[in-house]
Amino acid sequence: MEITVSFFLNGKRVTVTAPPAKSLLRVLREDLGVTSVKPGCEAGECGACTVLLDGQAVTSCLIMISQVEGKQITTAEGLERNGALDPIQEAFIEEGALQCGYCTPGFIMAAKGLLNENPNPTDEEILEGISGNICRCGAYPRIVSAIKKVVKKGVV
Amino acid sequence: MSYESIIVYSPRSLAEALDILAQRREQIRPIAGGTDVMVMIKDGVLKEKELLNLSYVPELSYIKESDSSILIAVRQIGSPQIQNLGTIGGNLGTASPAGDSIPPLYVLNATVKLQKVGGSREVPIDKFFLGPRKTVREPDELITEIKIEKMEPGTYYFFQKLGLRSANAISIVSAAGSLLLQEGTVKYLRLALGAVAPTVIRAKDAEDAAKDQPLTEQLIDRIARLASEATRPITDIRGTAEYRRKATYGVVYEALYYIMKGMGKKVEYGVESGS
Repeated sequence: MEITVSFFLNGKRVTVTAPPAKSLLRVLREDLGVTSVKPGCEAGECGACTVLLDGQAVTSCLIMISQVEGKQITTAEGLERNGALDPIQEAFIEEGALQCGYCTPGFIMAAKGLLNENPNPTDEEILEGISGNICRCGAYPRIVSAIKKVVKKGVV
Repeated sequence: MSYESIIVYSPRSLAEALDILAQRREQIRPIAGGTDVMVMIKDGVLKEKELLNLSYVPELSYIKESDSSILIAVRQIGSPQIQNLGTIGGNLGTASPAGDSIPPLYVLNATVKLQKVGGSREVPIDKFFLGPRKTVREPDELITEIKIEKMEPGTYYFFQKLGLRSANAISIVSAAGSLLLQEGTVKYLRLALGAVAPTVIRAKDAEDAAKDQPLTEQLIDRIARLASEATRPITDIRGTAEYRRKATYGVVYEALYYIMKGMGKKVEYGVESGS
């Protein structure tokens, strides 16, 4: 049995037909070609599949496609504005905040979710904001300095 | 059970959700935030073939305040991404002895409302759990409301947990408590411990020992020892039973020590301050 679900992906309405308990992560990657959203643990532990659901950071591996009817989903693909990168993406590049890059979209979306809720987080709040994400290359210091840079500039 | 063969019911009202539960009973499992059920599906261990998706039931998302109590509907707990998904009802329904919202609910003398077609009942939190992953919820009942007592202004409160990571870690030991001090003397202490017995427990002996005693290091040592003795821990991948007993002493001691030193969190304006 499959169901048809309609939601907003990076601002555009999309309609997909899929098994109702299929994860949003798998639908994004396999049915919609959105590959910035990474499968890691697929158990909500690693944060590699983080997207924004109505502006809030969530792990897309834990959401059924049945749960997103009419919702706004934002992925890294939806961050650019008129060809310009999001300030968080810019800061990750400037700070070299990655090594292999697998965790990067998840960290960027977690940071985006944090700054949506709290545009001026303390250092401690930044650490808490990305505590649901794992980087096995250990790029944490540069990830944190990239987010601090964005906060300092006050551009998000 | 692979995700491909699972049937999902997505009711748009509480009445519709209860009707489906009454018909499908044991065959269906309610899913709210999905933080547990989705992992069970991935691991192939979900028994039920059908899910009751509560995402579109508007009646299950509210926090109400009355004079004597605060009513919290099925809402959130847990790392940023998980907090944005998980619900308090799900944390209760899934009944992990390590569920982190549960010890605070014991301290707040919570009651759980179970509703079904044509009726409802309220169950005190300490009567709700039967064991790991087991509750008194009947197959046709849905958790629809959690009621907690308001804490008096001036009451200290704490939640301490020991896990392998600051976020997302399953608790090895957790402790929640509330404490009212009057001129350095404990008027009452409520203390609940998680992940150290088949269900969350209240450390009654420790609570009794604290009553009307001055909060000193000697008393804290005694409370922490009684709390440790109240545990019935298991050995698992996260820690041995012996470690859990010792760690219980440690988390309880630390929480009360901060309060004694004036560094504890206090209720202001009748609701929790701090975080």
